[in-house]
Amino acid sequence: MTFTDPLSIITLVPLLSGLLLLILPNVLPQHISQRMQSSVRNVAIGLSTAVFALTTLIFLGTIGQIDWLSIGMGSFVLETEDPVWLIESIGVTWHLGADALSFPMIWLTTLLIPISMLVQWDVERGHRFHALLLIMEGALVGVFVSLDLFVFYVFWELTLVPMFFLIMIWGGEDRKYASMKFFIYTFTASVLMLVGILVMYFNTADSIFSGSLTGHHFNLVEMTEQARVSGLIASEGLRHLVWLLLLIGFATKMPSVPVHTWLPDAHVQAPTAGSMLLAGVMLKMGAYGFLRVAVAIFPESTLTFVPLLVFLGMASLVYGAVVCLGQTNLKRMVAYSSVSHMGLIFLGIATMQPIGFAGALFMMFAHGIISPLLFAVAGSFKHHYHTLEIGSMRGIAHHSPFLAGHMMLGWMGSLGLPLLAGFVAEVAIMIAFWMTFGWWVLLPAITLIFTALYYLTSMQKMIFESDDPHQGILPDTLHGEDPRDVTWHENVGMFILGALTILFGIMPFIFWDMMSVWSTEFIETYLIHAMNALEAMP
Amino acid sequence: MGDKHQQEWNLLLPLLPALLIVPILAVLGVEPLDLGFAAILAPFLMFPIVLLVGQIWNGNDIWVGKLKEGGILALASLAVSLIAAFWMIVHFLSLHEKKVHGDSITWLNFDVLSHDGTQWSVDAGFTNISFGIWLDSVSIMLLFVATFLCFLICWFAIGYMTTDEINSNRNHRFFAEFILFSMGMFGMVLADSFLWLFIFWEIMGLCSYLLIGFYYWKESAAAAAKKAFMTTRVGDVFLMVGLLMLYDIYGSLDFAVVFDDPSTGVGGTVVEASKLQPALLMLFIGCVGKSAQFPLHVWLPDAMEGPTPVSALIHAATMVNAGLYLVARMVPFVDVYHHGVPGMEELGLIVAWIGGITAFMAASIAFVQNDIKKVLAYSTMSQLAYIFLGLGSALYLLAADHHHAGYFVLGGALFHLFNHAMAKGMLFMASGSVIHEVHHAHHDLHHHGHNDDHHEEFDPQDMRNMGGLASKMPVTSIAMMLGSMSIIGIPLIGGFWSKEAIIAETWLGALEYEPLLLGPAILAVMTAGMTGFYMTRMWMMTFAGQPKHEASAHVHESTPWIKTPLVTLSIVTATTGALLASMHVGEFLSGEEAGFHLGVVDALKHTFFPEKQALMVVGYITIALSSLVGPIIAMKVHGGKLADGESANGMVAWLVGLSAAFKPMDVSGMANSRLADSLQNRLHFDDIYQWTISKTITPMSAFSAWFDANVIDGIVKLVERTSVSGSMWIRTYTTGNTRDYILMAAVGALSIFVLIVGVSQ
Repeated sequence: MTFTDPLSIITLVPLLSGLLLLILPNVLPQHISQRMQSSVRNVAIGLSTAVFALTTLIFLGTIGQIDWLSIGMGSFVLETEDPVWLIESIGVTWHLGADALSFPMIWLTTLLIPISMLVQWDVERGHRFHALLLIMEGALVGVFVSLDLFVFYVFWELTLVPMFFLIMIWGGEDRKYASMKFFIYTFTASVLMLVGILVMYFNTADSIFSGSLTGHHFNLVEMTEQARVSGLIASEGLRHLVWLLLLIGFATKMPSVPVHTWLPDAHVQAPTAGSMLLAGVMLKMGAYGFLRVAVAIFPESTLTFVPLLVFLGMASLVYGAVVCLGQTNLKRMVAYSSVSHMGLIFLGIATMQPIGFAGALFMMFAHGIISPLLFAVAGSFKHHYHTLEIGSMRGIAHHSPFLAGHMMLGWMGSLGLPLLAGFVAEVAIMIAFWMTFGWWVLLPAITLIFTALYYLTSMQKMIFESDDPHQGILPDTLHGEDPRDVTWHENVGMFILGALTILFGIMPFIFWDMMSVWSTEFIETYLIHAMNALEAMP
Repeated sequence: MGDKHQQEWNLLLPLLPALLIVPILAVLGVEPLDLGFAAILAPFLMFPIVLLVGQIWNGNDIWVGKLKEGGILALASLAVSLIAAFWMIVHFLSLHEKKVHGDSITWLNFDVLSHDGTQWSVDAGFTNISFGIWLDSVSIMLLFVATFLCFLICWFAIGYMTTDEINSNRNHRFFAEFILFSMGMFGMVLADSFLWLFIFWEIMGLCSYLLIGFYYWKESAAAAAKKAFMTTRVGDVFLMVGLLMLYDIYGSLDFAVVFDDPSTGVGGTVVEASKLQPALLMLFIGCVGKSAQFPLHVWLPDAMEGPTPVSALIHAATMVNAGLYLVARMVPFVDVYHHGVPGMEELGLIVAWIGGITAFMAASIAFVQNDIKKVLAYSTMSQLAYIFLGLGSALYLLAADHHHAGYFVLGGALFHLFNHAMAKGMLFMASGSVIHEVHHAHHDLHHHGHNDDHHEEFDPQDMRNMGGLASKMPVTSIAMMLGSMSIIGIPLIGGFWSKEAIIAETWLGALEYEPLLLGPAILAVMTAGMTGFYMTRMWMMTFAGQPKHEASAHVHESTPWIKTPLVTLSIVTATTGALLASMHVGEFLSGEEAGFHLGVVDALKHTFFPEKQALMVVGYITIALSSLVGPIIAMKVHGGKLADGESANGMVAWLVGLSAAFKPMDVSGMANSRLADSLQNRLHFDDIYQWTISKTITPMSAFSAWFDANVIDGIVKLVERTSVSGSMWIRTYTTGNTRDYILMAAVGALSIFVLIVGVSQ
């Protein structure tokens, strides 16, 4: 039983060291633990930076000599070779692997952890905060690397725990309600998803991964292969039911209208780092799982429910944007803009075109860079001006030029300005959408106008319109002090995210190429038979 | 004063190494076409340097004194682009090719599935998206306009921006955004595909937004910036939809693929006009937004909130031409003489009508403007509309296979683009010169005189505060006179050559082929006369008569940073019209040997002695309206001799004297009419848009926010409350007996298990 392969390391090292850093101060003698508390953040950021370096080396091919463009559908790189039993009786194995769908997300996670630590470098009770972020990292990476649905589900739920505490302890005034709502809401949806997974489990055929007691297994690779060759579930009705159960779990996580209302509450109350990770990575778990499990294993159901996907995506996109327009709270607005952008992912998948899939994948990645920037800006704003009301502080270009600059860049990136990361995804999804749905493309296109409208209005009210620091502030927010610009660590964090937004806008092919190859192969392998069958029907 | 400015020429020394970059690259073996990348990259790489260094070294002596807060660095990067552009233009002209296409770099690889009747498969006809350099006569003309004017206006801006206290320690932001804009313009002109054209187009939109909002603390500037971005965004979104449609038709957005044979689509299919024409109309909506045409014109006048060099650069000389450029790029689609798609006459008619309506509307609003920059803004709108009118006629004539006339008017329209950019860039700089000096004179007066602050009451842009500046600003007054003459179309100067071609060929099209062109054609002639009036009115209000405010009596021209570009462009405006007309520029720009317009003699013949009697009548009426009737009425209303003891030089003195010779006319009755009031309010377009938005989008968003918080989340909250009360009820079953709990848990787990197994078997 070995856990020394690169993927196990980037999953388990942060997870275990985070647990260790959390527990040790409580069991060690007083004087040692006090000295330790002050150095936890150094250890945490060092570790997470090392993990990020490792992931980057994997990407560059220095470790593993991986050619990302020729992985082949159904196979994975850095895959665990022999089944390592975790629970042999019911067929749970430690089985990890990465491909072009999961790797950009893994890289994104390992990138965002040190940045979010940096942004909240001097948070109160930091020794717990930064340790929780390490646990978060392990859980998030675990979701993306595990190819065993049981382990996947465990990691999926495990991500809730550190986030729950991050909101509960470091959140805003209404943190108790928000954290409970966040936990119970997404947990309920995940339980429905679990029911779906269990039904799939009881339909698996015998294989080397099968448990000695049940004769079934949770192995995703095997399940997908079985589904491709002979179909996983015979009954069409049950297939659709399981697909819908999975959809509920994944759509709630994404989140899609109408199951999105946990997100604004969670975001508004969450600390900056929590918001960054929530928007940057956690939301993408929904889209990732949807593609990996629901679409790959039940292509016929996916095709049958394309109208539903379009409806959900369109509802999230259009409705989310219109709701954004009516928001007065900065974080709430950014949260709804996430709902709106996640709608585009469903639309991209619904097109059933490789370019649409690739656009959806790139949207997951680009939104993962841009939305943390947005939340870092919103968090810094809250940190320095003690309010999140749009318009309560005007003219921040004057007294916080760096914050204003980051805000401008982030907002522009999010509204889809060319040469910033989001544009590529938007344009790819729109091309595919026109090809499949024709003039319906006007709906998402006109939504882009609304997106620009709410972002520009908020900038007009915050960056512009004044150079008097005391004009427009809510009376008591600054307590008579003069406003100041962002701290160095917030600034560095936002600079990195901003630079990446530009880098991936100008050179999207860094990740786009593998996503595009993956999308084509994915459709050719899993979907095209069903598409041809559907077309052949009268 | 003089000594101080003599010394400033030293500051240009850092430019010398920049001048060498392009020759060195060429010596190192870089292909002339690849220098286009250098032209784009130079300003792009300089952008973060100026922005960040300026932010960090804010107020540093060397930064402010020697580098003019980044102005010198910006100028250096633009010099690189300018030389690279010249190099490419010379190279292109030496090749005698219609178009040159460089190697392109793959940007995005992807696949598209298509259904071939039996099954879905990857369609190899759809190409990836790449980036490269494309040169043809249209793009090198615009490349010259863009690089030349960006360089000159940056030069002007160093003088204009850094001498105003209100800008100090903020200018780095101005120069950084300025060169980012320049990069967008160069990129748009050089790009070899519609997608990259759009990408750079949007970058320009961003910079326009940032630069209009440069005085961010002014609420009017913030609102104007947002309005500009939003209005153009409306057009851009439709443009993007047009791109999607075009990609679907041709399987590519590269000029090389699309223009190779526009009548053949992806996989050898025949392109139908019913599919292509909507796509081109979508693109045209984007052009309407970007070039400020009716009904998306409302942003341009407000955009004058930006600093004057920005108005000169973006809102007169370069960015607003982007829409024209894209329409000019539509020519191969409709040109049935060369593989065009037949049956697309409507496109040209729509373009021409939009142009005609905008030209007339903008000119009439310009009648009543008192802000010198607003007059120029409406004039820009009106002249751009002329070019749209010309392009529309060209598109119609080419679609209807009247290719001689079509190419002629195409060349004329593009030539007008050139003339207008040069003249209008100069006019804005001249207006900037006036505003700058009036503002400083007013400032000095207050500084030395009584100390009570009346700053906010005095508007240095209001022409009602000016008058009699002809003697005090000789260079500016001549520059403005030449620019106005070019815009009016006074025979033999600048815009005359091109405007004449547009009007004559539109009339030809209207009389011979398509009566629907008659509307735009009549509007064009009327607008020509109105242009004569409002441009003369502007000049007279500014330079003739007596000073109407004490500040205007103390004005003097100062910095050479401002004068140099004015002199340069005066020469260009005065000479290039005739010069280029004699060099067959129309044929060169339209890319066709149209068989006539052979040099200046033929151009004159075409103007004054056309073969058709009707065109001769139209031509003479136009010249009479624009060069005589309009200006004379303006002189009667606004002219007058200078104050005693003041004298201007040569031509200017003659013009002022002429205006004084006419009997003054009182128009106060007309000025108070309801029509004038309506024109003052810009024909209420802004009010109507504002009202519509406040009645639709605002309540809708408020309702949605309420709906989300109270209905959708309300249901969630209802479930929460129900479950809380439910758990209260369940609590009655908590007996505290461990055996009961184990029993309940076992029953629960068993029933779930049975359920799952039963369902899944």
